[in-house]
Amino acid sequence: MEATTTHQHKEKEPRVHRPCAFDKMEGLVREMQDPENGVPVRSQKQFLTSIPSAFMGECHRYLRCPLNLNDQKNSVGWLRVAGYDLVEWLIDRLAIEESVEAVHIANQLCQYGYFFPVNDSKTLTVKDDSSLYRFQTPYYWPWQHRTPDNVEYAIYLAKRTLRNKQRHALEDYEVEALNSLRKNLQNKWDIIQLQAEEQIRLSKERKKGDKIVSDSQERAFWRVYRPPPGCLSSLEVVPVPTRARPGLPRPPPRKRTLADLQREVELLKNSLTRTRIKVSTAIENLKSYFETYMEYDPMIVQPQPSNPWITDDQTFWQLNSPLVEVPTEKRVKRWALSMEELMSDPTGLQEFTNYLRKEYSHENIRFWMAVKDLRRSFQAQIPVKVNEIFEEFLAAGAPCEINIDGKTMEKVHQEMRNPTRFTFDSAAEHVYTLLLKKDCYPRFIRSEHYRNLLAAGVQPLQKKRFFGFGGQAKKKISTTTAPIPGSLQQQHAGIGGGGGGRRRGSDRSLSGSAHELAICGVRDVAATPRVPHSHSQSNLTDIPYRGDLARLVKISSRPSPRRTQDAGVPEPATRPMDDVCPWDAAPGPSSELASSESFEPPGQPCNPARISRKNSSQLDSCSSSSDLSAAIMEASDCLRKSCALQNTMSRNYSANSSAKIRLGDTSRPPSCKYSSPQQSFDLSLSVAEKPEPVETVLEESSVSKVREATPEETLPKEITPQESVPKEIAPKELRLAMAPLISISAIVGDLAEDQPDTEDIQVILEEEPESENVDVPKGDEKEPEELEEQNVIEEKDDKIKEKESKEEQVNTGNEDSAEEAQVVPVWEPDNQEESDAATATPQEQRDNNVNEVCPWEDEENCRVDAPYVKTYATLGYL
Amino acid sequence: MDSATELEQIEKLAKEAESLKIRLEDERQKLNDVTLASVADRLEPINCMNVKPRRILKGHQAKVLCSDWSPDKRHIVSSSQDGKMIIWDAFTTNKEHAVTMPTTWVMACAYAPSGALVACGGLDNKVTVYPLSLEDDVSARKKTVGTHTSYMSCCAFPNSDQQILTGSGDSTCALWDVESGQLLQNFHGHSGDVMSIDLAPSETGNTFVSGSCDKMVLIWDMRSGQCVQSFEGHRSDVNSVRFHPSGDAVATGSDDATCRLFDLRADKEVAVYAKESIIFGANAVDLSISGRLLFAGHNDYTVNAWDTLKCQRVALLYGHENRVSCLRVSPDGTALSTGSWDATLRVWA
Repeated sequence: MEATTTHQHKEKEPRVHRPCAFDKMEGLVREMQDPENGVPVRSQKQFLTSIPSAFMGECHRYLRCPLNLNDQKNSVGWLRVAGYDLVEWLIDRLAIEESVEAVHIANQLCQYGYFFPVNDSKTLTVKDDSSLYRFQTPYYWPWQHRTPDNVEYAIYLAKRTLRNKQRHALEDYEVEALNSLRKNLQNKWDIIQLQAEEQIRLSKERKKGDKIVSDSQERAFWRVYRPPPGCLSSLEVVPVPTRARPGLPRPPPRKRTLADLQREVELLKNSLTRTRIKVSTAIENLKSYFETYMEYDPMIVQPQPSNPWITDDQTFWQLNSPLVEVPTEKRVKRWALSMEELMSDPTGLQEFTNYLRKEYSHENIRFWMAVKDLRRSFQAQIPVKVNEIFEEFLAAGAPCEINIDGKTMEKVHQEMRNPTRFTFDSAAEHVYTLLLKKDCYPRFIRSEHYRNLLAAGVQPLQKKRFFGFGGQAKKKISTTTAPIPGSLQQQHAGIGGGGGGRRRGSDRSLSGSAHELAICGVRDVAATPRVPHSHSQSNLTDIPYRGDLARLVKISSRPSPRRTQDAGVPEPATRPMDDVCPWDAAPGPSSELASSESFEPPGQPCNPARISRKNSSQLDSCSSSSDLSAAIMEASDCLRKSCALQNTMSRNYSANSSAKIRLGDTSRPPSCKYSSPQQSFDLSLSVAEKPEPVETVLEESSVSKVREATPEETLPKEITPQESVPKEIAPKELRLAMAPLISISAIVGDLAEDQPDTEDIQVILEEEPESENVDVPKGDEKEPEELEEQNVIEEKDDKIKEKESKEEQVNTGNEDSAEEAQVVPVWEPDNQEESDAATATPQEQRDNNVNEVCPWEDEENCRVDAPYVKTYATLGYL
Repeated sequence: MDSATELEQIEKLAKEAESLKIRLEDERQKLNDVTLASVADRLEPINCMNVKPRRILKGHQAKVLCSDWSPDKRHIVSSSQDGKMIIWDAFTTNKEHAVTMPTTWVMACAYAPSGALVACGGLDNKVTVYPLSLEDDVSARKKTVGTHTSYMSCCAFPNSDQQILTGSGDSTCALWDVESGQLLQNFHGHSGDVMSIDLAPSETGNTFVSGSCDKMVLIWDMRSGQCVQSFEGHRSDVNSVRFHPSGDAVATGSDDATCRLFDLRADKEVAVYAKESIIFGANAVDLSISGRLLFAGHNDYTVNAWDTLKCQRVALLYGHENRVSCLRVSPDGTALSTGSWDATLRVWA
């Protein structure tokens, strides 16, 4: 039975087994010769006969009698086409964007001998010009039946020696080949000679044109099969007996035995019952993986300080060698992505172990490492190692006894009777998932130890920063004072110019790449700050964040009076938030943690517990208040749901999906916690105070990550008015919670944006948020804004009730300002007018701003984040 | 009589397998709700692919057939048709070791995780390890670890210097104990030459993937030796397989000129990377750190870079003057190395 099936199988397959590429090439070449849609044929005056341009179509398959070819060959042979026609045809046919690719493909076809240059028998290349090419007759196409043997080659060479020396003289390498063939085929040489003479006799009967064509085709054929030394042979293959080789039938498929089939059926049965996830979920996973890791992918985001291969500067490798004293901040952040990330990094593993050792609980990780080592040990060491591990970790009273449940222990004891490298797998699994992953790891990520690492983390760009930083910091202080009024003005201006801002935003969103948008935004910001610098420092608190501005822009349409009302709202409540303030929380570690969480793909089965842990950790870091963490944990579940909503919204709004989505996720969770948006203000207030800091932390981190990942994308997001709308709709409470977060992010973003400016000062910012130094010029403006935002946040808590109205107002203001800042430097007047109003309602506005501020805007700033944020915060307080 | 009953059984099983396949395909289709490209629609496109050749490694006298990165991210081992194996400092383009193997067509080579050991093999059907040391001749301490019944096409160290996994033209894969040369596990299931293997990225993972001339992609449990998952879809030999860095998917390159992405959890193909203008087979594929970029080296001398999520080609890299036979993204993702039948290796970044 099997024999018959395999036989049938064989029949279905082409006689000759060859790579698919040959089928494709032949199809293509046939199409080329189609009289209707093929490559246009250039008329040939050189030939005496008139040329039938019809394509012959079927090739004759015969082996040894090229003599019979005469009749059929003509028509194909006559077709001659120009190089540029070939290239153009390929571009059309294959929908190629660049002619380089078409030329490349034409050259490949030429290398395989499907056509060849008419006037050059030595090189097989196609030029994109008027040079002419002749199609090879299908009989001579490569890899058709069998490869030509030496006898055929000898006949061909011998034939040429018998003909006109001028036109048919042999090349040097052909002379050599002929001589060696004559030696090797001595006993057959008479026959070869006879054959050659016979073929010449026959060819003499042909018309001259036919003769020229068939001669050139034959020559081109041998050029492909017997290339001159040093030239590529397109037909060479790996000399592997079982794979496709020219001229040989496919090797018979391996016989499937009963065992093979049993295995296959077994596998199929198992596959049937496998649990699957939807394709959409799978894709979402891949997408979120990318979004999480894109900042670690040097092909997507340039590594810092530079890619060694491009700049010859090995600093990147030095900073990231397997074991380092002080890991980079980015690397420490990566540990928070997953336990696997931590464990696969030698430095991470070391730090983790150190941490656990301090906690006197490192026996688990040591056990896990030992088992891992056992699994890959030399076979001979297995029994010894199994015993060692058992004695150290599992035996009763062992020095480092690990804590596993009775069932697992029983299993281990069973396995111990027959020790293998897998003896402790069940125990190790237990330790890994239950103890390390669900207990130790989250604690580590939350720990002071980790936060210190994060804070101490090297930032490859920091050199620059520091230089710039000192100067900038000073500048910032001074600038902060000055810019405050400007920021206020900006907000107000937003009211007046909101419409314009929207337009711009929309334009941006419609037009061009994220890069452009981002760049524009940065530039604008930079430009705008210069104008307003003259303001007094006293109003630092009033200064809106850039992010706020951007947010405001979205809502610009709403009336300004509301703002004033909002301003009237009690501000004292805001203070609590300050306690929790994101800045205090040390943006570095906490934000990172948060970011890691946020980055987890929504689709992934991330444990709620995990999220909660992270949140709590963040909270701890920020405010150290347990209440907050608890709230966060509760909220985490809600967050997911909310995230989904946000995601959809954000996606709609912005082309830059990834960054937005992330932001949305992070920000939304808080809202969920607080339940419906309609809840009473009191609730929101109380909740808001505690949760806000936490949330802020999260947002910060998320924002920062987003920024880092796609700094360019951030700006466009700000611009998009759509985003603002959803936020408005969202419950006030949410806004509150979100607001602080946003503000932070905005600040960061501002800083980043500013930095570039400072470096270059007036110079146009590069797309990448390169320098943090920039802070000085632009930073001034932004900084004040940030300060204002902070204040606003505080106020916000108190004014939650009013927030809605305020938000609207603020949003408008922000929008205007942002728009102005980015695009229009002229906003000054508006600002002044509105400044009064702004002062009145700065807090409210801030809240609104915060809510609306898009993290994406500030993405670039993220890198800068921690130190800057802190400084600003302090400034604001001062 | 025995053979007759066996034939009957085989026939029965073959029929059962066919019907199971159909049911399986039905099951898979039920969850096939969207296409990758539609989901990735909203993603920011990769607009500026700026990958350029940064280094050219010249020194092989014949076709380069395989290469692998050292864990130190800058050294490369490469093997060639004339039996040479060269250890390069790719950063400086210096050759640090050159070993002549007693065989031609060394089709596989691999760096051990410690960076102190390389393995290679080819038409000699053997896998041989060479400890790298600067003092004495590298080939003096070579050690033959395992032998297949046909050529060895690929090899890899599974997170340890103590074991090596090989794939062979005898259609099996095998796991060897480096020290004793003992066969630790045998992997039967392919019905054609195994062309490529790759280990799951997770350190705790105990699985690997293999691609074969039988057009199948199989996922294996290294501990049990069982095939745990299989993917069909390619129309010709599967020349190259690589795990997605997430470990949840496998990218493949085939003689049918397409690359594909198979998701392990969705249990099916989720993307085909094909273009009408790509005619020639893909010999090698690899993914960037984030899994967003897929590089494929082709028989027409080019390297295609794909956006895996948007299913768009984002770059076409020219440079080699003959088939691209091997291709690897460096461990930290900073560079891409390619080896070609034009006897050179190139590093792109």
